[in-house]
Amino acid sequence: MTSTSKPKAPEKKEQVHRVLLGKKQILVTEDEPLLVQLERAGIHVEYQCREGYCSSCSIKLLWGNVIYPFEPLAWVQSGYLLACCAIVKSDIEIAFFD
Amino acid sequence: MSYSTFNRKHFDSTKEPMFFGENVNVARYDQQKHPIFEKLIEKQLSFFWRPEEVDLSTDRKDFQRLEEHEQHIFLSNLKYQTLLDSVQGRSPNVALLPIVSLPELETWIETWSFSETIHSRSYTHIIRNIVNDPTKIFDDIVTNEEITKRADSVSKYYDRLIEMVNLYNTMGMGTFDVPGKGPIEISMPKLKKALYLTIASVNVLEAIRFYVSFACSFAFAERTLMEGNAKIIKLIARDEALHLTGTQHMLNLMASGKDDPEMAVIAAECQDEVRQIFIEAAEQEKEWATYLFKDGSMIGLNAQILGQYVEYITNVRMQAVGFETCFTTKHNPIPWINAWLVSDNVQVAPQEAEISSYLVGQTDNSLDDSDFDDFDL
Repeated sequence: MTSTSKPKAPEKKEQVHRVLLGKKQILVTEDEPLLVQLERAGIHVEYQCREGYCSSCSIKLLWGNVIYPFEPLAWVQSGYLLACCAIVKSDIEIAFFD
Repeated sequence: MSYSTFNRKHFDSTKEPMFFGENVNVARYDQQKHPIFEKLIEKQLSFFWRPEEVDLSTDRKDFQRLEEHEQHIFLSNLKYQTLLDSVQGRSPNVALLPIVSLPELETWIETWSFSETIHSRSYTHIIRNIVNDPTKIFDDIVTNEEITKRADSVSKYYDRLIEMVNLYNTMGMGTFDVPGKGPIEISMPKLKKALYLTIASVNVLEAIRFYVSFACSFAFAERTLMEGNAKIIKLIARDEALHLTGTQHMLNLMASGKDDPEMAVIAAECQDEVRQIFIEAAEQEKEWATYLFKDGSMIGLNAQILGQYVEYITNVRMQAVGFETCFTTKHNPIPWINAWLVSDNVQVAPQEAEISSYLVGQTDNSLDDSDFDDFDL
């Protein structure tokens, strides 16, 4: 389908959030799940299914908001997030182990 | 109370607890107390695969070229996997079906067990392909001391629960003198405790023991050896990840009290025991690692590294069900395992076999004639 292109409204500003991990800080967008963005930043995260059923990529969420476009099959404990399918919605702080 | 294969009572199954409520009567899935189990069933069905889809002819040649101590590692690992799936292919059915009260959970248990039987059949497929006399290998599973030690710890909670449920179904509540075993007390709290510990030990089996064996299988494939075997293990690992999620849901539902308030009290009382099950399993797996590598290591994996992986994966799994971690290893010593465990590249082409997003015979009924208006022939 061709769209009659109106003069483009100023593009919605890309939402960028900070992810704090120990002393590191990574910038992420809302376009992709957290896992791929952490990997691109060179951070090793455990994973297996990458679609929300295995919970291997469960990470502590110390504060901040994430959402899941599709409810994952795995149990997400309170205070944790599933990196493979979580979309970051605010600045957040995460941690791997105590 | 005795078990009935078709409970005649009229009741609302969405008000029943997962276990020890009414026996299930109508297998209906239009209304569910815990829809997660229905979703797990659907996912598991979409994973369906057959061992024969994987060609193992190169593995036979690879196996013959392995050094003797490497053959020992490979075969022992395979025997252990065979043991684990022999137990898992029947025990959830035998132990849990007589006491389950929700149709969706009943069917999840059956679906879960069935998929374990595919795993068992694939071990036969592997063994038949790499050795001339499979009997030698299968016989050793019941006689080899290192394996039978493991058999005891993976089956004892199931066996205990089965024994208690048998008494409960025939005799009801009370204390019964069982020949050779002494008095066994049957009460609802005791039954629920036995159930909770069983699910916890299954969780440990799926979450730790299986992964230790996967690490060994993939260590060969990292060296481009036994790759057909690794392909099968990859399919098994995908299933196991789902089973693990099922058990974690059961444990967390029990502990939260949302399903059965009495179960929450029992789960809280059992915390120390469950923690001990985790630690004991980790120690046994480390001993197992020593046995595997007793005659020599292989490139990429030795007893020490596998031991560290045991500690690491135990920490991860304990945390997943709300426990404090108990080992110092905080990093995965074999990060390459993730590339083997990842499920989204299990198969390259949907028509070759199942990938999770591929449904056989799927048609789109929302099309009508107008959708073809743009076509000119």
